[in-house]
This record gives sequence, structure tokens and C-alpha cells, in this order.
Amino acid sequence: MLGNLEHRPIQAFEASHGGFHAAHSAAAHSPLIEIAPAESSDAPAALGFALAWLQAGALAQDGVLLWAAPEHSFAEHGAPYAEGLAQFGIDPRKLVLVRTQNQLDALWVSEQALSLPCAHVLCTIAHSAKSLSLTASRRLLLQAEKSGARCVLLRFDPLTPSAARSRWRVKAAPSDHAVGTREIGAPSFHVLLDRNRAGFATQSWRMDWNAHEHRFQETPHAGYRMQPEGTANDSTGNPLDGGAFAALIH
Amino acid sequence: MAVHLPRLSTDRLRYSSIAKAGGHPFALYAKIGNAFIITALDEAADKAGLRPGLSLSDARALRPDLVTQAADNAADLALLDEIAAWCERFSPIVALDPPDGLFLDISGCAHLFGGEIEMLRALKHGLRKQSFNVRAAIAPNPGAAWACARFGQARIVTEDNLQNALAPLPLFALRLTDEAAALLKRLGLESIGQIMHAPRRPFTARAGQNAILRLDQALGRAPEALHARRPPPPVFALRRLAEPILTLDAITRVTHDLCDDLAAKLAQRGLGARLLQLSLFGVDAKTRRLRLALGRAEQDAQTLARLFKDKLCRAPENLDAESGFEAMRLDALEIAPIIFHTTDLAPAAKRDLRAEARLMDAICARLGAGRAGHVTLRDVHAPERASYFAPFLAERTHSAMPAPTPPRDNVMRRPLFLLGKSQPIEVIASVPDGPPARFRWRRVLHRLVRAEGPERIAPHWLHAPSARARDYYRVEDQDGRRFWLYREGLYEAADLDAPPRWFIQGLFA
Repeated sequence: MLGNLEHRPIQAFEASHGGFHAAHSAAAHSPLIEIAPAESSDAPAALGFALAWLQAGALAQDGVLLWAAPEHSFAEHGAPYAEGLAQFGIDPRKLVLVRTQNQLDALWVSEQALSLPCAHVLCTIAHSAKSLSLTASRRLLLQAEKSGARCVLLRFDPLTPSAARSRWRVKAAPSDHAVGTREIGAPSFHVLLDRNRAGFATQSWRMDWNAHEHRFQETPHAGYRMQPEGTANDSTGNPLDGGAFAALIH
Repeated sequence: MAVHLPRLSTDRLRYSSIAKAGGHPFALYAKIGNAFIITALDEAADKAGLRPGLSLSDARALRPDLVTQAADNAADLALLDEIAAWCERFSPIVALDPPDGLFLDISGCAHLFGGEIEMLRALKHGLRKQSFNVRAAIAPNPGAAWACARFGQARIVTEDNLQNALAPLPLFALRLTDEAAALLKRLGLESIGQIMHAPRRPFTARAGQNAILRLDQALGRAPEALHARRPPPPVFALRRLAEPILTLDAITRVTHDLCDDLAAKLAQRGLGARLLQLSLFGVDAKTRRLRLALGRAEQDAQTLARLFKDKLCRAPENLDAESGFEAMRLDALEIAPIIFHTTDLAPAAKRDLRAEARLMDAICARLGAGRAGHVTLRDVHAPERASYFAPFLAERTHSAMPAPTPPRDNVMRRPLFLLGKSQPIEVIASVPDGPPARFRWRRVLHRLVRAEGPERIAPHWLHAPSARARDYYRVEDQDGRRFWLYREGLYEAADLDAPPRWFIQGLFA
């Protein structure tokens, strides 16, 4: 069964060029992916996207949802808030949170948790930590492959190569409303598939998180579309300034 | 087993500066009534012919070189307790018998030491090495052991020779009150043998209830309970080591053996352990204790051994095993019946709840109990108090509320992340009665594009009576980042001394 899970999505990944859902459903089956904010101030967006990503998978498989993070990472972006989690579609009673003393413990907890077949593990790599080593990420990958569990590395450290199958960069996206209204909409992200071992990369989408149905909804919006480096930035009124854009690509 | 430390108080001071002074006889005195009376003597003073009960001045007259010090009963008792703690390496049930004795319930322990004789020898040897004078005896009941330790010849008394062993002993050996002992002496009775078969009614009438009870206890005709120093563990396993062990490797191996023993005992009774304590008895007479709390009752030896190994490996320097350990004991302090869940045959249920519980135990054992848990909601208005981190093994102090379902429109009214402490923001362009148009936080300027609010959250009148009301706004900046801001204090209140201040409390995804 594990073999199937391993190979099926990769074909799907290569076959589909275009929709976020194809890319997402393919990557959702891969044992290890990494999610990083486009800029440091996009950390809440990246965290939210990672939680949403895992929640969608954990619900589909009835698995454990565990988040291991070093204690000091909460000082920067705040700690998960029960009422907020619930409104985000995550029952706080079902999210196991492990606040570790240091980065090493968080990796250890993640590795232990990945031995559970249906575990969905989020591991925060804090900004102050040494960059994640290839060995550490390989250990997680092997453990996840062995048991069929899923792991998301949330990287706030300087991005170094890792064993992750794909890397997703996330940026907060403005509420998608007609100009003039001052209402805030559903959680919304710009997502860029930055690296992908299984095929195409540097695709980007804008999507909303439907907390009620636990799924992402692609909301194509030309003006807010992120584009990979090298292609012409022809859209007018792109809210991304040059600096943010460069940070997104690197 | 009864242990008697006849020179406990002088042994306590043996190496102190006073007692060491030139090998002079040493004695302790206390003020009894109006006189200073000798209460304890060391061997030299004993040989010099001094006796407890002598007045201090008489003793000084007999031996001008006598060194004396005031007795300290509290220190003696503390020392006795320390010795009792040391003795726990022989049995978990150790009772204090002040002023100078201990009782050990060694039923089921002696075979671990190679029999009662070996056990007695090991205990006496251990205490003598710590320079205590010690006498000890093993008997079927505490009373007889007490008598034999102090007055008897036989060191090991069995049920069969109990009467023979006790018969020649003086009546003092029965732990009688002074009056009863004096009375019996007046009657010409000297040894236990003389009253052993006395007719009960007349004897009780003359000597009192206490005398007959003590006699019955020594002969095993009446029960006597020991008041153990610590509550005895319901289930325990003990290993005495032929050679002291030093290495982490050896310690984990013995721990594994102990876990095997304990698991077998637990399995026999259909029980599992929820709280375990590993005691490591050092050669240096110190005891290290390691506790392991589990989320659910566990009786699997492998699991327990692995958890202890994690704990031991985590901080080996804390063990301070320099001089080595000579015995180890594993107690199950809290036990509970093991509940076997029936296996769900439906293929959809892939979750292994047992494996999950074991994972949590492993995490708690290695990282400490307070590290893993849930974020929990409680029914409080103040946002910073409404959500809290509830570790798995902690006592629940608040009743948790069920979480609300996500709103239909998928718009979040509460932030996903709450900052540990609200942080002040610098408002660049303020708008009366509304959110700021621009603000600076962590040196980044945010221009607000969207905002919703206000939502007023009043302070808790009991916990923070002086706090000001807060108006909360959900805002979004030009890049789509969303924040939870509040204004403390109201514009209409127009308090010039305390103008409204703005804070950021949470971040939306």
C-alpha cells in the first residue's frame, strides 16, 4: 500500500500542469514537504497554510495532527489560540501541541510521531536555529516513508537544501473583494511551488481556505497572481513590490 | 527485621571537632528536671565506667577528661530518618522506631540478597562502614526482632524457635512501660520465659494491658502493624547488585530487568502502572529517584524500559553515578486496571490509539510532563485568558469548553495566533472612533486597507477592576496581512492623563 502511495501521486504531479488542486493533491501524498514564508512578516500566513494543509490531510485519513515547535518560536508569532483554531477549522482538542525546549527536541518529537501510520506532523524550524541539516530532514523523510505518515517542515531558518519533496512559499493575500468594501474575507494565501522533485515548479496560485469544508479554494485573480522570475511581469496593479517579489523567488 | 543503633547520638558526632578531640571519652547530656544528666556515651566513656543517668558533674568527677556536648534529639531523629532512607535499598517498607531503632519488613525481599543471613550481614556491614554501631535481628514479628536485636544472642529467629529464643531474655526486651517493668521486677520476675505461660487474666490484672499486649506481640499472638516511613508501593521490584554499577549501559540493563520483574507482577494482577519511581541506591549512601508518569496504565516491560532509558540517557550527569550504585528498586506508585479495548474490525479505523498513547508517554517521559498537550478554551471574556495550554498529565483546573465550529462564511473573528503579551503599536495616523490608518509594529509600517470593528471586550471586574475597556478591530494591511488590534481606553472618556493606547494582540493567518 505504501508503494502505491509513493508512486501514484508523482505521475499525477507530472501529468497536470495548471490547477492548484492537481498540484496540491499530488503533494499532499508526499511524505515530506516544506513550507516557508515569502518574507519574515508572512510567518503567520505560512503557519496558517501549513496547518490548513495538514488539517485537510488529517481529516481525510482520520490521523493524528501533531505540531512540534521549539518554545521560543512562539514568542515571535504568538501561540496558537484555541478560538482561532476552531474558527480555522481545527478542533483544538485534536491538535497535539508539543512545545519543546530546543530545535533538536522538536525534530526528535516529529520523528517519533512519524512512526504512527496516520500521523500528520508539523515541525517548526525556528528562525534562530541553525539551518536544518540535510541529514535531519532525511531522517524525517525515511521515517515518514516507512510508516506512511506525512510531515510538513515549517521553515523560518535560512533555506538550505533538504530532503523535502517540494517546497511551498507562502505569502499573505489581500481579501478578495470589490474595491471599496472594507470587509475582511476568508483566510487567503499566495502560494508558490518553489521546488519540486517530481516535476514542474515555480507555479503560483492564490487561494482561500474554506475552514468549513476543510479545503482550499483557488481564486484566480490576475492582479494578484505571483509569477516566477524571468517571465514578464505584465499585470498592472500588482501589489507585490520588487523586494517582496525577489524574496519570494529565492 | 529490627535494627538497633545503640550509639546513634554519639556516632552522629563521631567526626565532629568536639568528639574527635584526642580520643577522650565523649558523652552527651540533657537537662532533665533541674540537673544535667548524661544521656548517651561513646565506647570509651562506656569502658570508663560511666552510665547514662549519671549527673554531668558526677561524670566529670569520675573522668576529668570527659568531653561533653548537649544532646540534640531533633538531629538524632533526622539522622535516623536518613539511615531509614538508606535502608530502603533492602526493603521498601522501613519504619522508624525512635529514638534509636528501625523496623524493616523484609518479607519477600531476603532472597534477593542470598537469604536472610546474607541480608543481615550486608545491612550491618553497610551501616558499620558508615561508622555506626549496629545490632540487628530478624524475627517473624517486630516485637521479637526488637527484643533479639537488643538483648538476644540469636540473630535470626524463626517461627519454630521463637519461644526458645525469647524465653531467656530480660523483661525489658518486651518494650514495657517503666511502671510495668518495675512492677514485674518487684514480683521477682526477670525473664520473658517466666511470664510466657502465665495465666492471662491474673497477669493482666497485675501487670496491666500494655504488658500482655507486648508479650503477645513478641510471641506473634497479637498483630503489630509497622508505620512505614513512606507509604509502601503497591507493587515493586528490587535488584541488589553484586558489584556496584557505574555505567549508563549497566544501569539501563538493570532497569530493563526491573521493568521485566515489575511487568510480570503487574500482569499477574491484571494491573498497569501509571506512576513509577526508580530508586538508585548509591554506594555513597545517597539515593537518586527518578519518576515516570504515564498517560495510561502500562504493563509492557519493553515500553517501560524504553521510557526509562530515554529518561536516563537524557541527563546522565544528574545521576551523579561516580561511586556507583549497589541496589536499584522500581516501584509502581500508582496502579490502575488495564482496560483492553476491543479491536475495531472496520477497515476505516486505522488509528492506533494505543500507539498514540505510547507516543505521548514517550514524549512526556523524555521532555518532561508539561511539554505536550492541547490548546484549550475556557469560558472567559479576556482573550489572553480564554485560551491556555493544557499539558496532558497536568491536573485540570478549569473545565474546558467545546470548541465552536467554523463560521459559515469562513471569516475568522479571532486570530489564529495570540502574542504572549499585547504589544504597543505606534499609531501614525489616527482616526477618532476608528482604527488607525497607518501603524508601525516591529519597525514595519503597515497601511491599513480593511478593518472591521469595534468589538468591545470589557475587563473582568474581579481580576482586573482597574483595567480599561478594549475596543478590538480586525484589520488588514496593503499586503493582506491581518492583525488583531485593540484600543485601550475610549475617546469619549476624554481622559487627558491617560489617552487611549493601541496594542496588537493577535495575528490572523
